[in-house]
Amino acid sequence: MNEHQERIDLEAPLSGDFQAVVRLIVGGIAEGVDFAFEEIDDLQLAVERLLAEAGTTGTVCLSFEVGQNRIRARIGPLSEAKVAEALKDGELIPGQLTLRRILGTVVDSFGVDHAADGGIVVRLEKLKGPA
Amino acid sequence: MSTNQSANSRRSVNSERAREEDRELLRRYHHDGDTGAREKLIQRHLPLVRSLARRYAGRGEALEDIEQVGAIGLIKAIDRFELEREVSLATYATPNVVGEIKRHFRDKGWAIRVPRALQELNASMSGAIERLTGRLGRSPSIAEIAEELKTSPEEVLEAMEVGSAYSTVSLSTGPSGEDELDPLETIGGEDAGFERSEDRAALQPALERLAPREREILRMRFEEGLPQTQIAQRVGLSQMHVSRLIRKSLAVMREELLR
Repeated sequence: MNEHQERIDLEAPLSGDFQAVVRLIVGGIAEGVDFAFEEIDDLQLAVERLLAEAGTTGTVCLSFEVGQNRIRARIGPLSEAKVAEALKDGELIPGQLTLRRILGTVVDSFGVDHAADGGIVVRLEKLKGPA
Repeated sequence: MSTNQSANSRRSVNSERAREEDRELLRRYHHDGDTGAREKLIQRHLPLVRSLARRYAGRGEALEDIEQVGAIGLIKAIDRFELEREVSLATYATPNVVGEIKRHFRDKGWAIRVPRALQELNASMSGAIERLTGRLGRSPSIAEIAEELKTSPEEVLEAMEVGSAYSTVSLSTGPSGEDELDPLETIGGEDAGFERSEDRAALQPALERLAPREREILRMRFEEGLPQTQIAQRVGLSQMHVSRLIRKSLAVMREELLR
């Protein structure tokens, strides 16, 4: 059975001035799925850290697919090579506080797709915990 | 002797006795390294912290968070107290506690002018989240927090954002900009975890910008994988305060790495 999904697209400046607006929107979307306070905070932190690594000029597209008990986000294209480098597969070294470790802690899954322009698009998925 | 004179005399004797007990505990802590004496001093003077914290209530911050910050000032005063001083610990600690609270408000640095109603809602959210977490046995939803506070989910979300407004200055940075020792280092113990990293050389300056408590919170969240609610219980802060410290610490570390 296909799960009903809604989609919300947003294009936002990478300038830090608008991070609070993005956080508020992410919070509003997650509230719509009845995420718990802590889950919303996790998703906001994931998006915030990703955008913080993505530079401060230009814009970024954020696309949110909202399912019954989950949110999938696609964020990109991101041209900063170090973001792709930071998210590359490999063993997590104990004690390293990397972007991978942060995302691995606060979302249920994440991955990287390569965009046509050579940049990357980061996928995040956050599931709603048991009520 | 009148009743009033008698009462005053009793208070004076009690006050002198309390001062002497404080000095003995301070001596045991500073001369003998008796950390139990330090703990007793903290407990004895927490009512002073609560009393001072209440003066700063209603300014957009939960009273319990102000008390936590004030307690840091008290611990600093105990740690820095010199036995040769003629003043009582309470007298010496008061400006330390007030200074710590004022610094907290300044460091929190409301980036934008926040309506008072939202500040107040933000302040009451911390307690509501704790109550609901206890009652439900899980982190509450925004709708549940809104119902508890008799407001709308939209306003709760806005108030959350108010609470996340912060400056990029570390909570452990003093007014002069120099890093000060965070007295809650007892929570963290020896530097473990992230500092064992192979990237130690790169991460070290960034980690050093953080107080031991903040490093320990990051370790609990990202190495042990503990949820904020459990970390909050362990370190004795509200969940909202833990959330703010995590976000702020990561931002501070990144800023340091970019230098």
